[in-house]
Amino acid sequence: MHSTTDRFNANFTCKFCGIYVTSHSVVSGVNHRNHCPNCLYSRHLDLYQAGDRLCACKGMMAPVGLTTKKVSDKYNQNTSGELMLVHYCIDCGAFSINRIAADDDNLKLIATFKNNLLNKTSFMHREKLKDIEFLGEEDRQMLQSGLFGSTCVTRPEHVCA
Amino acid sequence: MQTQNTDMNNIGVVYKKLLGHYAVHHANMITTCVLSSKLWKKFEVTHADGDSHRVIAVHEKHMDPVAVGDRVIFRPVKDGTGLILEILPRRNYLARGSAKPNPRAYSFEQVIAANLDQIIPVFAAANPRPKWHMLDRILVAAEAHQIASTILITKFDLVKGRKDEDELLSAINRYKEIGYPVIVTSAKAKMGLDALKNALGHRTSLLVGKSGVGKSTLMNILEPGLDLKIQSVNPSTGKGRHTTSHLEMFPLAMGGNIIDTPGTREFGIWGLAPENLADCFPEMRNFIGKCKFGLSCQHDEEPGCAIRKSVMNGTISPFRYKSYLRMRMDL
Repeated sequence: MHSTTDRFNANFTCKFCGIYVTSHSVVSGVNHRNHCPNCLYSRHLDLYQAGDRLCACKGMMAPVGLTTKKVSDKYNQNTSGELMLVHYCIDCGAFSINRIAADDDNLKLIATFKNNLLNKTSFMHREKLKDIEFLGEEDRQMLQSGLFGSTCVTRPEHVCA
Repeated sequence: MQTQNTDMNNIGVVYKKLLGHYAVHHANMITTCVLSSKLWKKFEVTHADGDSHRVIAVHEKHMDPVAVGDRVIFRPVKDGTGLILEILPRRNYLARGSAKPNPRAYSFEQVIAANLDQIIPVFAAANPRPKWHMLDRILVAAEAHQIASTILITKFDLVKGRKDEDELLSAINRYKEIGYPVIVTSAKAKMGLDALKNALGHRTSLLVGKSGVGKSTLMNILEPGLDLKIQSVNPSTGKGRHTTSHLEMFPLAMGGNIIDTPGTREFGIWGLAPENLADCFPEMRNFIGKCKFGLSCQHDEEPGCAIRKSVMNGTISPFRYKSYLRMRMDL
């Protein structure tokens, strides 16, 4: 039987790209690693709340776009929320919104953002995602500063031209 | 080995066992018995010592060959005690894998009781909180031994009118839909006691559950003369205090018997092959063999699994399916 610590720090092999992923919070910066940092794919395992592992679908969840976490900061109305990754289940069509981890591939995140802008994720039913506010072209600067820091904003051509 | 059933020998039922002594009920009398040395030898296991090839005879370290509810042939001795000569074949029995003191230790079979008509898993609505996975384990063990089960929920007054009530009722409905009878009681509010009496009458029932759920309290209400020792739950830990320390069967005035057990911290499934586990979930039985991989399907990651599909469309509860996967991992 796994101890509680082991269960939360369970390493895994990505079923999509085959890379071995360590889920230790020191590496990922999050306590619940739920997607591969290399390909950003996840699996459909949770049903009612994060970590409940009640879903029997177990299908692959593709990264389909980026959004921001809704925040209600009454002292700073201009604060943008934390960057979040939107996953879409290829098998059953469910979607979930997950935190981006520290070791996620930033270029893959940018690629996901661009794919969403270009509407290339043809397998998903867009009507199911109508409640999610995806990041658009106007959020590009915010995305760059979020992923690469403020230096990138002054010279964006270096990483996300 | 056949024992001669002479006039001196009697057949009785074991009502209680404590430190190698067995209270055997026969003709409205209780005789305290011990096992005969001949019977012990039947349960000895010979092992060859790996280095010296010397054959040594040892008892199975933790095995007690007699369980409460067993029918035994015993012979009275002059001082009023008795000697158990033979254990008659069991109609059925409930066994569990013992709790392991550390992860590397081996588990062994513990027969809790034998010759049962029904098992009654007892869970408190609150204080201590119900552990539904443990209930599933007890139900699976009962199904594996082909014994009927009736779920008993106690202390309902603690959640009535609170937000936990909805969660509890939805869990109860989950088991009712599968076909398990569920009795909701409250000793304080005198609720559900008639239904419990009807369920217990003229049957041999085994109460099993965590410490502090109120097994002995309910028995004191059903049979006021028993006067079993009870204690309140520890307020700082929210857990029971392990008051009942031995297994004992009590005859009920309305007919039938009831077996009170000490609180169970964990309930290991014993003697069940992983491929037979789904058969012990009544709601899964209809889908066994209908998967893409037929009877070889483990109902976990396989594509085209009929059971996973049923969980997705709501026919099987996801909580029960998760219990199935956890149990399968332990087997």
